[in-house]
Amino acid sequence: MTAIRRLRPRIRVLVAAAVILVFVAPIYLMIVNAFKAQPDILRSPASLPIPPTIDNLSTALGRPDNLIQLGLRNSLITVVCSVVLLIPLAAAFSFYLSRRRTRARALVLTALAAGLMVPPQVILLPTIKILTWVGLDHSYPGLILSNLGSGYLSFAVFVYVGFMRSVPEEVIQAARLDGAGGVRIWWQIVMPLVRPATATVAIFSSLWIWNDFLNPLFILGPLQGQTITTGLYLTIGQYSVDYGQLFGIMFLAAIVPVLGYLAVQKQFIAGLTAGSTK
Amino acid sequence: MTRTSRARRRGGVRRENRGLFAIAAVAFGLYVCFLVLPLLLSLRSSFTNENPLRATSSFVGLDNYREAVGDTQLRASLVFTLILAVGVTVAANAVGVLFAMMLNRTTLSYRVMRTVAFLPQVLSGVIVGFVWQTILTQDGLLNHVLQRLGLIDEPFAWLGSPNAALFSIGVVVAWILTGFTTVVYLAALQNIPLELHDMAALDGVNRRQRFTRVIWPMIAPGTTISVTISLITVLKLYDVIAVLTGGGPANSTQSTALYIVQLAFTSDRFGYASSVAMVLLLLSAVIALSVTNVLRRREVNL
Repeated sequence: MTAIRRLRPRIRVLVAAAVILVFVAPIYLMIVNAFKAQPDILRSPASLPIPPTIDNLSTALGRPDNLIQLGLRNSLITVVCSVVLLIPLAAAFSFYLSRRRTRARALVLTALAAGLMVPPQVILLPTIKILTWVGLDHSYPGLILSNLGSGYLSFAVFVYVGFMRSVPEEVIQAARLDGAGGVRIWWQIVMPLVRPATATVAIFSSLWIWNDFLNPLFILGPLQGQTITTGLYLTIGQYSVDYGQLFGIMFLAAIVPVLGYLAVQKQFIAGLTAGSTK
Repeated sequence: MTRTSRARRRGGVRRENRGLFAIAAVAFGLYVCFLVLPLLLSLRSSFTNENPLRATSSFVGLDNYREAVGDTQLRASLVFTLILAVGVTVAANAVGVLFAMMLNRTTLSYRVMRTVAFLPQVLSGVIVGFVWQTILTQDGLLNHVLQRLGLIDEPFAWLGSPNAALFSIGVVVAWILTGFTTVVYLAALQNIPLELHDMAALDGVNRRQRFTRVIWPMIAPGTTISVTISLITVLKLYDVIAVLTGGGPANSTQSTALYIVQLAFTSDRFGYASSVAMVLLLLSAVIALSVTNVLRRREVNL
């Protein structure tokens, strides 16, 4: 009886591990099969790659169209530019809002909340039209601009406003008495205080912009150099029978977001949790 | 807030706040240009016969909406989208609650499992779609394994018939969303005061009662968020379905989101695509608002 009781937590861990393993089996398959040759994949898809081969990865990196290298570069440019501009814009907007009278604030926040509900397909066509008017269609600046104005801004403002409201009014008044202007107070006093919000916004908007599909596909157009996500979609179909190549390419495409997630997973989950319980 | 600061604020933007106002105005301007204005333009296009192949477009009144009412393909896409949304929401939330209860422990092994369980959420829909395609296609890995085990004689087309494809897409999308629902429910579970569990234990409740009487009511706010976001996510889902089936076989898995893009970019019917987009927007808004409302009221009553 006591032996069983002592064993119970271990059995529980094992059961949980088995359930999670089955759950993430597709990701496991992607990883192990990236290091196996085609015949081995078909013979035993679930086995470990012993000995591992890096042929799939080197073939993927040696493609004449540089799918992986160009895709990763383009994605990186898009994400970094979008997020680096989004954070100050959203933060300043939120700080300004959080110091306004409640009715004006509620009105603007409602308008922004509506933005979170709009499916991207609904605004895709007119967005391309607007970018054409200003001469930025089929360009990265155009894609970045549309990222800044769409749902990401709504999300970022929501995260920031919650944090900004908790900055005590006295701190701001004190800085004002010392002669600091609005921009200085915001940048030098408020921003350091809301660092957790900045982390949340940076992590989630990076991930979403990196994984975005519809906007890069149609705003950039097929000839303009793709992000890794759309590049995969446009070129990978031809490999549907060559599993080795398929898994090799996908492994390389997935590695940046996965490593990024593992590096910041604590803040990642904290951010999600804060957002869901507020 | 003191009375003087409020009075001072009334007279428009003060000089030392101008820089801040300028940045805030740029942010709001971008929101207007790339969300509000596109929404209004889309609404206007929905009353025209706009087509990129023609130079001019004219107003056709409610013709597009009249066509939408009789459009069997639109109706099929709405039915598909709704079934998928409801099925996925139920599955992802049920498994999310189970996972959250299973992983609600702080030892290292459980923290590692939590990190791993959340991985599908990090990958793009395109990668997830291709990985699952290698598993689900006729000569895919799942059929290989099932045949080797002697469970099936002929390879089964998991994406090949309308019902099987609906089911397969549902499993894949639920798989993606479960990482999110799990985290939300974990957070909700951690908000339950420990005394409540102790009190339940003192009252001698069994496991089932502890779930139905203590845990389930206490995680109601988590349920509201998790269900609403699951529904909205499926309603606008594009990439996973585009990769897995492209809307086939025979348009049976064409969601409304896919139909809009097809109308706009393959059939060049901008005007009609816009009116279908308005239908999807209205549907999303009605579903999101009413579900949130119902679930909020439930939070109070429980």
